[in-house]
Amino acid sequence: MKTLELGYIHIKDIIIGSESKVENGVLYVDEAALKALVLEDENLKDVSFDVAKPGESVRITPVKDVIEPRAKVEGPGGIFPGMVNKVEAVGEGKTVVLKDMAVVTAGKIVGFQEGVIDMSGPGAEYTPFSKTLNLVMVCTPADHLLAQDPDATLPIENEKKPEYEQAVRMAGLKVAAYLGDLGKNVTPDETETFSTPNLKEGIEMYPDLPRVVYVAMLQTQGLLHDTYVYGVDAKRTLSTMLWPTEIMDGAIVSGNCVSACDKNPTYIHENNPVVHELFKQHGKTLNFVGVIITNENVYLADKQRSSDWAAKLCELLGVDGAIVTQEGFGNPDTDLIMNTKKIELKGVKTTIVTDEYAGQDGKSQSLADADPLADAVVTGGNANEVIILPKMDKVIGMLDYVDVIAGGHAGSLRPDGTIEAEIQVITSATNEMGFGKLSAR
Amino acid sequence: MVKEIERAGIPVVHMCTVTPISMTVGANRIVPTIAIPHPLGNPALSPEEEKKLRRHLVERALEALTTEVEDQTIFEVK
Repeated sequence: MKTLELGYIHIKDIIIGSESKVENGVLYVDEAALKALVLEDENLKDVSFDVAKPGESVRITPVKDVIEPRAKVEGPGGIFPGMVNKVEAVGEGKTVVLKDMAVVTAGKIVGFQEGVIDMSGPGAEYTPFSKTLNLVMVCTPADHLLAQDPDATLPIENEKKPEYEQAVRMAGLKVAAYLGDLGKNVTPDETETFSTPNLKEGIEMYPDLPRVVYVAMLQTQGLLHDTYVYGVDAKRTLSTMLWPTEIMDGAIVSGNCVSACDKNPTYIHENNPVVHELFKQHGKTLNFVGVIITNENVYLADKQRSSDWAAKLCELLGVDGAIVTQEGFGNPDTDLIMNTKKIELKGVKTTIVTDEYAGQDGKSQSLADADPLADAVVTGGNANEVIILPKMDKVIGMLDYVDVIAGGHAGSLRPDGTIEAEIQVITSATNEMGFGKLSAR
Repeated sequence: MVKEIERAGIPVVHMCTVTPISMTVGANRIVPTIAIPHPLGNPALSPEEEKKLRRHLVERALEALTTEVEDQTIFEVK
């Protein structure tokens, strides 16, 4: 039995000052200490911190990742293993979580698929991160990363983007781990326990319940579309298995610039809604067997191999059902269909969770690929839906890129400060793990 | 586009990496390519080797174009 207890400390306010602590639900942040931590990386020139609260007239953009601060209190390993802490298997013991808040990384664009978070107005209805207290860190790349064209204001067209992406990704994770550590000596407001039996125990405990596995597809197309598992670039991995609680300890982190609406930020991996819902049903209506992770690569042979392996693992486990979630769209739709088809052909029922690119009028084909065996689908919504976002009083980050991020177009940012764009630009609007608010019947 | 051009009576070879999508959308002659970000090239090769690769792929496509097919066919590249 693998058991992890999450201790939730609800954060009611964030105050930036000269001391770091969590007291009475308030997170105090020592700005100088955080800045020093971030600027340890010579690829970053500067970082500024700001707080965005639910309901404020604030727009954050371009958003790269969203992360929930956590720390290990008991049990092996540390949070974000292989990234911030050394590689050691996590997923058991006790972990403390700073709830109701998030660390949001922003700054000069890395790739063209970064997002917008509005803290109020119609856009706020589409992003789950309008409801969290956000500590936003706006990062500035070091001059040597911009050497090719110091006057460039639009995407950094040089070869240093991966270094910049990595710098911002690591900065966010380090800050989230630092803040999580502040919760270590605080008594959580509430706790929740997640236990996964091993295969033998599970069959003995729940002989009559259907056995269900979760197949999480990780975005690994490369060129700034990557996901890391225990520090390993997942495009260089074969499909494998995790205890569900390893994910809660930050075993999977986002390093990608897929369209904002359907990328899986680190926060959503940590709070994976499919994992949480399966735990809720575990021992009642089903037996949650574990998590298969598989990738979404750009070579057909990789797609064949990875989907073969995902299906083979389902077969080996002898499960009755599988839930498959996706990240991104376009060619990953083929990975999704290959996984689903092959798993179904092993005699395992599948349900897929995805989103749609059905055109602005919603009349086009929703996915790039399809198969009759993929007959149970949950959608996160149509990413092409157009929205008008009103002007906000304050912008954290910069509006320079609204016209060029995926879902925006020339003229998206209008002279009056409003934005006309597809909801694709909104962080997690059509999340394909079901963390967003949209769906359809 | 593949289907519309064929509808006008001109045979088409679809060169693409994700052949399952090409099958789903109904292309008749399909030549698999290298990778999604670089279908007709391979940055891991030297320019000379890459030119050879490109020529080989195009020749395979021309061969496919002049081959009668009864059904959707993938012309594997050796």
